[in-house]
Amino acid sequence: MKISKKIISNLKEGGANFFLSVPCKLLANMIAILEADKEVYYSSIPREEEGMGICAGAYLGNKLPCIMMQNTGIGNSVNSIVSLLQLYQMPVVFLISYRGTPGEPVGAQGGMASVTEEILDTLRIPMLHCSAEKDLEKISIFANHAKVIEGPVAILCNFDLMKEDK
Amino acid sequence: MNRFELLNLLQETLQNNLVVCNIGLPSQELYKINDRPNYFYMLGSMGLSSSIGLGLSLTIDKNVISIDGDGSVLMNMNTLATIGNRAPSNYTLLIIDNGSYGSTGDQKTFTNEKTSLKDVAIGAGCEKVIECSGEETLENLNKALSDNNHSYVIISKIKSGNVTIKPIPLNPITIRDRFRKSIGLVSYL
Repeated sequence: MKISKKIISNLKEGGANFFLSVPCKLLANMIAILEADKEVYYSSIPREEEGMGICAGAYLGNKLPCIMMQNTGIGNSVNSIVSLLQLYQMPVVFLISYRGTPGEPVGAQGGMASVTEEILDTLRIPMLHCSAEKDLEKISIFANHAKVIEGPVAILCNFDLMKEDK
Repeated sequence: MNRFELLNLLQETLQNNLVVCNIGLPSQELYKINDRPNYFYMLGSMGLSSSIGLGLSLTIDKNVISIDGDGSVLMNMNTLATIGNRAPSNYTLLIIDNGSYGSTGDQKTFTNEKTSLKDVAIGAGCEKVIECSGEETLENLNKALSDNNHSYVIISKIKSGNVTIKPIPLNPITIRDRFRKSIGLVSYL
């Protein structure tokens, strides 16, 4: 719980105040924290691409939205990222559970893992890699960076980091 | 009645509300009829008009109308479940159902065959779902906006057909900023 608490609290410190998630086992603690949090809006949603649209609307209404998802969700959302969030220059924080990184037991997750960073790089989305607890300190400045550059940023949380978060 | 005639009919209500409008001809027709800063024209991301309006309605108190098409809703049908479970009472989804993909050459959609978006919306959890003719749409839209207890999904059944029209000349940041200014969120313009 300690790591998930720190991630949510640092996201909020960076200005994130509207949260959506498409579930992942590694996000379960964060989802439980947000469900109990009365300070910010939180909902689960069925699909990531839809979430990009909801985030765009929340930004128009003056929120800094954060969508939590697996890295597979980036694959589901490429057009909405480019033709909506980046076209209109809308800040959104992607909090990504990075499935398929070392420690991952499900071999099939390796495919999207092997192309995730190349996709984000191609989309010119700044990335923050979190593989150890000390990396979490950079999350708040990184969330705020989305507002500064008026576009999406991606925070990638490695499997090993999250699986220890009992 | 086609979409251009319907959008003309709805102006007296649309012009005083925050409107998110579907990509392609719906936005271009709306722009031609009566360009307003409180109209957010989508220039990309087909399917997400419903979702953008939902996100906005969750963050402000004013009424928000998402104008969508049958083809676009079919592309992002899962969002009807999100709307059914999460939409606040200031949200209205207006689906202009002409049974065709108007912007790409009027190819037929599945609402022309077996699919009923009314039944899908009800099944997805939307409580107030109205299917009506184009002529009845204004009255139902006004009813939806004046109900402070429920969100609405209105499916307006009209004929297919488009008018010849040019792309919207506004750049995306202009659309974004004047829209946010009309909500009262931009102080630098």
